[in-house]
Amino acid sequence: MSKLLEATGVVAGYGDGPAILNGADLSVHPRKVHCIIGPNGAGKSTLLKAIVGMLKVRKGDVRYKGESLKGLRPDKILRKGICFVPQERALFPKMTVRENLRMGGYSITNDSYLNNRIGEIEEQFPILKERHSQHAGTLSGGQQQILSMARTMILKPEIVMLDEPSLGLAPKIVREVFGVMQMMAKEGITIILVEQNALMGLKYSDWGVVLDLGRSLFDGPAQEILEDPRIQELYLGGMKDKP
Amino acid sequence: MILLIQTLILGIALGGVYALMGSGLSLIFGVMRIVNLAHPSLIMIGAYVAYWPFRLSNIEPMFMLPVAAIILACIGAILYRFVFEREARSAKYSEMTVLLTFALAMVVEGMLGTAFTNTQRITSPNYATEAFFLADIFIPKGQLYASIISIIIISALALFLKYSRLGYAIRATTENREAAELLGVNVNRVGLISFAIGLALAGAAGALVSFIFSFFPSKHWEWIVILMSLVVLGGMGSILGTVIGAFLLSAVAALVGTYFGATWSTLTFFIALFVVLLVRPQGLFGEKPELA
Ligand SMILES: Nc1ncnc2c1ncn2[C@@H]1O[C@H](COP(=O)(O)OP(=O)(O)OP(=O)(O)O)[C@@H](O)[C@H]1O
Ligand SMILES: [Mg+2]
Repeated sequence: MSKLLEATGVVAGYGDGPAILNGADLSVHPRKVHCIIGPNGAGKSTLLKAIVGMLKVRKGDVRYKGESLKGLRPDKILRKGICFVPQERALFPKMTVRENLRMGGYSITNDSYLNNRIGEIEEQFPILKERHSQHAGTLSGGQQQILSMARTMILKPEIVMLDEPSLGLAPKIVREVFGVMQMMAKEGITIILVEQNALMGLKYSDWGVVLDLGRSLFDGPAQEILEDPRIQELYLGGMKDKP
Repeated sequence: MILLIQTLILGIALGGVYALMGSGLSLIFGVMRIVNLAHPSLIMIGAYVAYWPFRLSNIEPMFMLPVAAIILACIGAILYRFVFEREARSAKYSEMTVLLTFALAMVVEGMLGTAFTNTQRITSPNYATEAFFLADIFIPKGQLYASIISIIIISALALFLKYSRLGYAIRATTENREAAELLGVNVNRVGLISFAIGLALAGAAGALVSFIFSFFPSKHWEWIVILMSLVVLGGMGSILGTVIGAFLLSAVAALVGTYFGATWSTLTFFIALFVVLLVRPQGLFGEKPELA
């Protein structure tokens, strides 16, 4: 199958600091959900940041639709259709919900098109329409996460990368957030998900990647990862049958 | 009673100008996390830009307001590009910018002193010495006009920040620089534009100040205390907070001046700065202080 995005041998780190990624690989298949799992500090977030240009790719390459993304600024990479929802949610707490959506479409310069898109997204997520004039900072954690995800959809992106969208949310809300992710996938958006709860993440995914110590150790269909006894023991805590 | 009302009116009439003087400081801090200690010295440049044409050929200082704004905006863009943009990559960014702006204030003061000496100056258009009378109360025209113009400029700024695309980008960068960048904002360009706008506000304020206060190159040290106190009271980075802080403090300072003597009036700003930092360091509308 042809790859939409492919990171190969990526070496990256923060500032002049040591390399955190030591040759990480990631293959992204069009219209699939990919889950990156690995222990704390493995470099999962770092890999996403390197892909969107927030960190410099020191070695290796990131290719998207046949061209290299290396050295491009985040705003340029965004305009190519790759959106990133960072771990810390990255809303603008003192801007209203609608202003946050509008910021999601900042790179759209056609105002009437942008307004249409905001309208469509608000239809799709009634809670955002209901709360449109409220400051984003006053939303609940789950609502904030949904806003962060909905905000990316304004652009009709090709790829959305979600860094631990379930972080700090109650199980019921987590299912809601994953529901939104599935909705995005159904619309044809390619998803790259980083998830602490590896079992749950993989169950919602088509592909899985195991990242540890800055390297990709395994890459394959999510089902295979779930069934691989070594990976189960090391990264899934041997909890095969837990929901 | 008359004295009280008169005092309040004089205080409030100055509030608008203080607000304009502080708004650029606040905007630059909000977007860039730069505490621009040189801000008042740059206001001083604006005052001289208004002063000389008036002195030499009687040109209305208000006509010079846009000129001062444009000159200072250009200075701002240059300073940003060659000084602050490089620093943005340094790990000690905050410490460095405090030292840098402090040094900048000294340099500006030195250059103004060399060029224009330390003589006290003031532009004196007719309205600067006239007043409106309402029964027994007088409102100095100069301060009233200056405050009205200040409020108009700040309102325009607020509308621009609220509704324009660039305004969205500036607000977003103020709140969360990294997130703004991820959504396609060129934060470096936003930094440059905000810095230029901030200094344009300084230039405009300078032209207005030129007929309200007498000034000389080293006077900016007095202004920095006033501006810091009202910006801190309002909450660093909040324009609305700065406006409210300006009116509050200038009214209080006027009251203190009338009832306790003029020396105490300046002290109001010092004391306010201390009290706010001790009691509520984020000010009325500011972020929690960990950001700075
Ligand atoms: N801003 C930063 N500056 C310097 N080092 C960092 C920074 N952020 C993360 N690191 C380091 O990079 C390494 C990998 O971090 P990263 O956030 O990519 O891990 P992760 O796999 O996402 O873990 P988690 O599950 O905790 O989110 C860690 O050792 C961390 O200390
Ligand atoms: Mg992480």
